[in-house]
Amino acid sequence: MAIKDYDTLPKLLKYNYEKYGDTKIAMRVKDMGLWQRYTWKDYYEKAKYFSLGLISLGLEPGDKVSILGENKPEWFWAELAVQAARGTVIGIFTDCIPSEVKYYVEHSDSKFVVAHDQEQVDKLLEIKDELPLLKKVIYWDPKGLWSYDEPILMSFNEVLSLGKEYEKSHPGLFEENIEKGKGEDIGIFCYTSGTTALPKGAMVTHDGLVGVANSWQEVDKWQDNEQYLSFLPPAWITEQGLGIAGSLVSGMQANFPEEPETVQENIREIGASVLFFGPRQWESMIRLVQAKIIDTSKLRRFLYHLFLPVGYKVADLRLAKKKVNWFWRALYFIAYWAVFRALKDKLGLLGNRCAYTAGAAVSPDILRYFQAIGVNIKQLYGSSEEGLLTLHHDEDIKWETSGPKMPGVEVKLSQEGEILVKRSDNYFAGYYKNLEATQERLRDGWFYTGDFGYIDDDNHLIVIDRMDDLRGLADGHKFSPQFAEVRLRFSPYIKDALAVGGEDKAFVTCVINIDLDNVGRWAEARRIPYTTFTDLSQKPEVIELIRKDIERTNKTLPEWARIKRFVNLHKEFDPDEAELTRTRKLRRTFIEDRYGYLVDALYGDKEEIRVEAPITYRDGRKGTIETAIKVTTLME
Amino acid sequence: MGEEVKLKIEDLSLKFGGLDALSEVSLGVRDGELLAIIGPNGAGKTSLLNCINGFYRPWKGRIFFEGKEITKLASHKIAEMGISRTFQNIELYTGLSTVDNLMAARHILMKQNPVAGAFYFGPAYREEVRHREVVEDIIDFLEMEPIRKKVVGLLPYGLRKRVELGRALALEPKILLLDEPMAGMNIDEKEDMARFIIDTIELRRIPIVLVEHDMEVVMDIADSVVVLDFGRKIAQGTPAEIRAEPLVIKAYLGEEEV
Repeated sequence: MAIKDYDTLPKLLKYNYEKYGDTKIAMRVKDMGLWQRYTWKDYYEKAKYFSLGLISLGLEPGDKVSILGENKPEWFWAELAVQAARGTVIGIFTDCIPSEVKYYVEHSDSKFVVAHDQEQVDKLLEIKDELPLLKKVIYWDPKGLWSYDEPILMSFNEVLSLGKEYEKSHPGLFEENIEKGKGEDIGIFCYTSGTTALPKGAMVTHDGLVGVANSWQEVDKWQDNEQYLSFLPPAWITEQGLGIAGSLVSGMQANFPEEPETVQENIREIGASVLFFGPRQWESMIRLVQAKIIDTSKLRRFLYHLFLPVGYKVADLRLAKKKVNWFWRALYFIAYWAVFRALKDKLGLLGNRCAYTAGAAVSPDILRYFQAIGVNIKQLYGSSEEGLLTLHHDEDIKWETSGPKMPGVEVKLSQEGEILVKRSDNYFAGYYKNLEATQERLRDGWFYTGDFGYIDDDNHLIVIDRMDDLRGLADGHKFSPQFAEVRLRFSPYIKDALAVGGEDKAFVTCVINIDLDNVGRWAEARRIPYTTFTDLSQKPEVIELIRKDIERTNKTLPEWARIKRFVNLHKEFDPDEAELTRTRKLRRTFIEDRYGYLVDALYGDKEEIRVEAPITYRDGRKGTIETAIKVTTLME
Repeated sequence: MGEEVKLKIEDLSLKFGGLDALSEVSLGVRDGELLAIIGPNGAGKTSLLNCINGFYRPWKGRIFFEGKEITKLASHKIAEMGISRTFQNIELYTGLSTVDNLMAARHILMKQNPVAGAFYFGPAYREEVRHREVVEDIIDFLEMEPIRKKVVGLLPYGLRKRVELGRALALEPKILLLDEPMAGMNIDEKEDMARFIIDTIELRRIPIVLVEHDMEVVMDIADSVVVLDFGRKIAQGTPAEIRAEPLVIKAYLGEEEV
């Protein structure tokens, strides 16, 4: 049987177990300051006993289990355990507040929740009485939970022991269950991030998960000796396809960082050859470099600024498929050894072979920057409902595009420019308990992505924005706010931006969320005193700094879409206040409503307005702040 | 909370020249108890801790730990008996990393001599590994992974306080004395610290003597409270009792009614 004939994830796990046993490491996790290793045999056995343990607690085929945790081996084990018992897994983001957790658990009819630690368990204990279907909450990190006396709680290890007991009376059950699994079984529900409405649960089949990983493997040829960094939330489809299914089809080793805060350190130790960061993480890496360069010695700063343009020039030539002559090659050689190699090493990207990004539109500057310093960064496009759709191939990379379509995928555009896709496998089985939405999005076999884009001469797909997010202007032009925003965000001083416009508006304006770290450092270097974020954001020097960056961005925008007025927001956009989704996308309509007074001011003629804004602190307390916000007009 | 009295102080008096720093203070700390000592500035709170761990010699009175008298022991002997503390003004090796600070605290528990340690094989190696495991447990417990290898002197204040608590725990104490662990912290840091203190009691089942200024925190987490004023114990009881005690209100807030 060829690897392609394995049609479910648990079957692939068994395949790897039989192939490698305990001769090869399947995953590593940093714990106790050391990299703890698990072989394929460990992976298989943990999944096996957890699966049997859940069955002994009442898990039946078709049941749903939610998992709420950071990237850890336990996440993978639990997912494979549930799927082996022919159940379905729902991943929940760890920074969800209790009411959001309740929505996912309730809507998916989850019988069990596997939770990471005390923080997540507390959320579930708060809502457990409103969840009649919930049988057990199983946690894997017992820290802080020693004195909890809740019958609904159970530790991961207890379930494993139950599984071992259960095996004695039911030998061979786990293997039987795996054999019974079919490609069309629903492996996961992947909830859409819900920028507009309540999240919808896309039902994804094993065929789909395995299919995505296989086609990806075909393009990028992951080897079983490669290191993969598991960092994306597994609640997100990309980690499902790349991390979980990808490591199962290729045998590559999954590595889990110690804590979210230690990722930057950990990737250097791992030397990850395959990794995926959202545009935000790539941006923050560039930001880190920019900040360190400001702080470093004069010689190093000089070398960096001397050689970076060489990197850009060579990357531009190479990816335009032009010949790089000996002169540029020699210069690049020097640049590599003088700057780029050390830079890549410090970023943990020295051993990198495939670096991916996707999600909210990526600024072309990010791709260009990393290609310039020699990181093979590639963009892809996909969705919860249809998996991986397009991907840059090595040496066929264009800054503005998301690459050509994947094998087995068809892409076309509707009359309005909406991207429509069709897969050859039965990846998407509809939205859970929402036939209406399924029928709306899936027509004549084509899936309506809701994304606006076009296909260029090289058959690369260019995704501009969500259809719903395109805005009109009074003069009839259409513009994409996100298009401007991602370009603004390339400035080290701008963390977030919200471009505002509309059919009743004559021009585009913008709300800026300054980057506290970098602007703060910039202010300190210039001896500009400030107290709080609010104070810093309204300093005349800071406004001037931001104004210059907006002018620079304006040059890359079509004339009608240029930003005419802007304000620096007095606080940061915050997912806890529902201004951003959990994947850090702006919730546009919500923000525009909430800051209606700012929008009015942007289209008014005053230069300053006073605002009193309610804010919610991290720990749930509420307060208000009163402040003056300056509105700045850009000169043409 | 156990019934056994771990630490007992009888009629303790301390004088600095003519000044009575402590006069006839008696108290007991039971197993698993979180006893808070509060009082205005100069009430003698830190002096009391300094007497317990042998920095000051009391003028009168006796201190017992697990039934043995420790009044006249040298402070390193007292540390070896399992009395561990943190300081109001952080006392760490500022040039060393977090993990090295914690490892340094383990030295009194190390059996191998420095020569064997220098060659680092066999028993010395195994011992080092065992100590490192304990230290890593503490790092995990106090969520210090991101600062494991960072030099302590460069850490922000709140984190340094946490490293200090970690160092105190690295001694595997039988009782922990904390001198204003939350002074100068913001609300988030205070909440973290309070949680770590409660977890310490839950997980390690050791008593803690906590000197703290922040009344709100004390009232939230302490099992019992002792109030000192000008070196005298003016009240003792549960947080609820203390809150209602007129003498305490007077000592803290002056004569006026609240």
